[in-house]
Amino acid sequence: MSIKTKDYATHVAGRLPQHPSHQIDRSKLIEFKFNGRTYPAYAGDTIASALWAAGVKMLGRSFKYHRPRGAFAFTSGDSNTLVRVNDEPNVRASVKRVEPEMIVTSQNTWPDLDADIMSLTSLGSRLMPVGFYYKTFIRPKALWPTYEKVLRQAAGLGYVTPDIPNTYFDKKYEFADVLVIGGGPAGMSAALSAAEAGASVLLLEENPYLGGHLAYEHPVVETDNGPIATYELADQLARRVEAHSKIQVELDTYAFGIYDHLWVGAVRDDTRLLKIRTKSMVVANGVFERPLIFENSDLPGVVLGSAAQRLMHLYGVKPGQRAVVLSANDDGLQVALDLHAAGVKLAVVTDLRSEPDSTLVDQLQAVGVKVQSGHTVTEARGSKAVSGAIIARLAEDGLPVSESLEFVRCDLLVTSTGWIPATGLLYQAKAKLAYDEYRAETRPVELPPRVHAAGRVAGTHSIQAELLEGEMAGLNAAAEVGFGGGAPEALSQQVSSLKAAEPVRTSPLIAIPGGKHRFISFDEDVSIKDLNDAVAEGYRSMELLKRYSTLSMGPSQGKYESAATMALCAEANGQTIAETGTTTSRPPYNPVPLGVLAGRVMEPVKYTPMHHWHLENGAVMMNAGLWKRPEHYGDPAKEVLTTRNGLGLIDVSTLGKLQLRGQDVPALLDRLYTNKWANLSVGRARYGVICNEEGIVSNDGVAARLAEDTWYVTGTTGGAVALYEEIEWYLQSGWNYQVHLVNMTDSYAAMNLTGPRARAALQPLTDIDLSNEAFPYMGARQGKIAGVPAIVLRIGFTGELGYEIHVPAGYGLYLWETLVDAGRKFNITPFGVEAQRIMRLEKGHFIVGQDTDGLTDPLMANLAWVVKMDKPEFVGKPSLVRIQQQGVTQKLVGYRMIDPSVIPEEANQIVRPNPDWPIGLEIIGRVTSARYSPTLQQSIGLCWLPADQSELGTNFTVRVREELYPGQVVSLPFYDPQGEKLRS
Amino acid sequence: MILLTCPNCGERNVAEFRFGGECKKRPANPEESASDAAWVDYLYLKENKLGMQQEWWYHRAGCGRWFIAERHTNTQVVEKTYFWESSQ
Repeated sequence: MSIKTKDYATHVAGRLPQHPSHQIDRSKLIEFKFNGRTYPAYAGDTIASALWAAGVKMLGRSFKYHRPRGAFAFTSGDSNTLVRVNDEPNVRASVKRVEPEMIVTSQNTWPDLDADIMSLTSLGSRLMPVGFYYKTFIRPKALWPTYEKVLRQAAGLGYVTPDIPNTYFDKKYEFADVLVIGGGPAGMSAALSAAEAGASVLLLEENPYLGGHLAYEHPVVETDNGPIATYELADQLARRVEAHSKIQVELDTYAFGIYDHLWVGAVRDDTRLLKIRTKSMVVANGVFERPLIFENSDLPGVVLGSAAQRLMHLYGVKPGQRAVVLSANDDGLQVALDLHAAGVKLAVVTDLRSEPDSTLVDQLQAVGVKVQSGHTVTEARGSKAVSGAIIARLAEDGLPVSESLEFVRCDLLVTSTGWIPATGLLYQAKAKLAYDEYRAETRPVELPPRVHAAGRVAGTHSIQAELLEGEMAGLNAAAEVGFGGGAPEALSQQVSSLKAAEPVRTSPLIAIPGGKHRFISFDEDVSIKDLNDAVAEGYRSMELLKRYSTLSMGPSQGKYESAATMALCAEANGQTIAETGTTTSRPPYNPVPLGVLAGRVMEPVKYTPMHHWHLENGAVMMNAGLWKRPEHYGDPAKEVLTTRNGLGLIDVSTLGKLQLRGQDVPALLDRLYTNKWANLSVGRARYGVICNEEGIVSNDGVAARLAEDTWYVTGTTGGAVALYEEIEWYLQSGWNYQVHLVNMTDSYAAMNLTGPRARAALQPLTDIDLSNEAFPYMGARQGKIAGVPAIVLRIGFTGELGYEIHVPAGYGLYLWETLVDAGRKFNITPFGVEAQRIMRLEKGHFIVGQDTDGLTDPLMANLAWVVKMDKPEFVGKPSLVRIQQQGVTQKLVGYRMIDPSVIPEEANQIVRPNPDWPIGLEIIGRVTSARYSPTLQQSIGLCWLPADQSELGTNFTVRVREELYPGQVVSLPFYDPQGEKLRS
Repeated sequence: MILLTCPNCGERNVAEFRFGGECKKRPANPEESASDAAWVDYLYLKENKLGMQQEWWYHRAGCGRWFIAERHTNTQVVEKTYFWESSQ
């Protein structure tokens, strides 16, 4: 890249001589691109300041009318400075520091910033009144796809490139005794006094430097020790703060939300999310300067007084050649003096006040500057940047006198008419805010415990008062959490009297009448006319007005427009501003990159002890909740056939497993399950179903009695955690049982060795007698298998002879490999979840959560046999009694498709013709499980049908991918109906 | 992110706990048909009160105990937390 000589020269010409208050480093010259052209910048420049120095004021086009826009504040609330930086859209050029080789482009412009065709929309402004998007693009409906295409092009600002690589983001927890938000004079003062009292202090500052407004305002302030430059005062305080061992300073960090119990969210460097828990806090985040609204006040080159000061005193940029200053307070007159000192020609200084402060006016006149009191700017003129202003005299009634209009040439128009305390964060902290009529500012009037406000956010503008109020807040915040005795009475009184003596700095004047382009919101292009129209349409309250007009809903979230909106809404309604109220401030108070909220992408995964064996043996893994399980090892149909004909092994370690001990376990189980347990002998296992109080099936599984008072309960993988927590709740909230419950889910591995050859393969490894007489179906034994202590359950989810072996997880892999070895001569195959699903389906077993849902009770699900209504009490009984009385309306049945090549998809609908329904088909049921059975060579499954249409042999129609296919209800199980294999 | 005091472990971030719903009094004789309305109320209806609410919490990332908290649903002030047994 090389900089055009002209741009470099402009850049240098646009700079002021070096000064210690500047935040830029002139020894580091950087190059970056804006819209294809290379520009120079110094380290420390923001994109906006570097471009301003090079003479570029227009940064983008506004959202709706594509009006030329630029920076007017040079803060993070600057609405129209959203640019694209490299791959990132919507970056605020006013605060983003330039980095070498940065590629910056403007947004919302086509074909380019200068010749943006969409600016023609301004011609159609009459067709786009406030709320027009609620009234247009509605008919005809057939054109919606076209409208969508047009609107997608026209709407939005930046665009996202989905294939950029992930950036690094992280999160950090921080704790503090006292959190101070804002590193200006009040904040620094609070931090120091709290730290001196012994509290540990965390200070957050959104800029890369401490100092707040001292860093860029008027150079000299009077102190007890004589006059001192404000940047030097800021420096002194900053050094003391940074040196203090009990103060942790985070620069480039903005707080975006204050939540319950003083939990604060903040972002550092746009890459780190800080989650802060503090015991007390001082909010000292300052003010926004309030723009005055007049015709074309949105032109690039029309800036706030503080913006001009930031340009001059932070970035060493000359804001313009020839300026008009409009002031309504001492701050504005001071800005004029600053501009003059920087070599800017002041065409005129107009002051809204008929008799402004005489010292500053005198100083201006003494250096030859024309000052017109009782005058205002009524209009800014210019096409892509301001080139002149219309000035008028104000009559007694405060309105401009039309005969006095005068055009004044200028390339910079500075307004300084008031301040808006940045009370959003205080609002979130549950402070009470009130509008002060006299000072025309909304300020905090009541604060909750351990929340303090200090400085300009609390309406305190004079530096001496800010410092003292900060000190007071810091002392009080520290005392509230046990450090020091709090602020002495004398200090509190001094602060109160200083605050009361403050001059008024904010004019109640919001807008100058006249013109069609007076914008309240630069984000959303909402004008004063729009606001008045909305109120006239009936959207009178602030909340409705905001939502209908989109005022304060843009990227800056109303930072610079809410005050005006409140005042204009009040005026339109004939109310006072206090009566009108504000809208609710919600986090985030500042834009937060989504990546920061996402953090590092971490997905916890649970592996069984045999996980790597599965991977090494060709398993295709699937997710089962947080677990990884093998779905299959290449050919699930083959796994099914091999297992049914010989031997198979499946890893079922993910199952829920609970150990219960105690004499009361049978009573507990009787009360928890729908069926009976007290009569289960030692060495036996039983299937059971658990319902919730609504009678809905929540879990199922096999439980075994291993010893007189030792039970082993298994349940579904997905329901394991919930089951454990539920039983604990019963035990801890009134079920008076002596039971000790241990969750073994993660500490036991489990595997099911199943198939006709299972006994032959397993017997040599164990001295548990596996003969059918000694260890029948539904038995439970404990013993050693290959030297490992094991619990063995002879159960039959798959329908074959099978042993479910549970061992401590540390032995899992060893036992698995041993079984695989032992099974080799029987042609053993590992099988995964898919093969198991097929086999259980062939046996007609349902799966909780697959074939049942949140409305399924056991009576409708074919499980009446497991519900023992003669028990005095069990979870769900009162509901099931009622359901039984009402009768079951649908049933879970087995089905077979007539055409075995048709495999429905789970959730396909069962339908019948009915002209009253859309597309003429009434939905009467649905398929919940469906597979091709390699064993039976049929297409089988489970489905729900109306109770009166669920008899065996019933024919029905299922809709699969919009085609209709016939099926038939058949009896369950499909395979081995007599259960001979199970009991072999 | 409120702070909750587990009666066993002490003050912790609410993220360590699982919310268990309002405390509800279970009807004494739920199977009697005369109590149909009371049973439906218990199962499906929540008081959802604005004010001090008694509710269940489970210390999932900690000791695994269930306890009751009395929390104001608007101001988020948590007045007390205790095991069920101590309320009997």
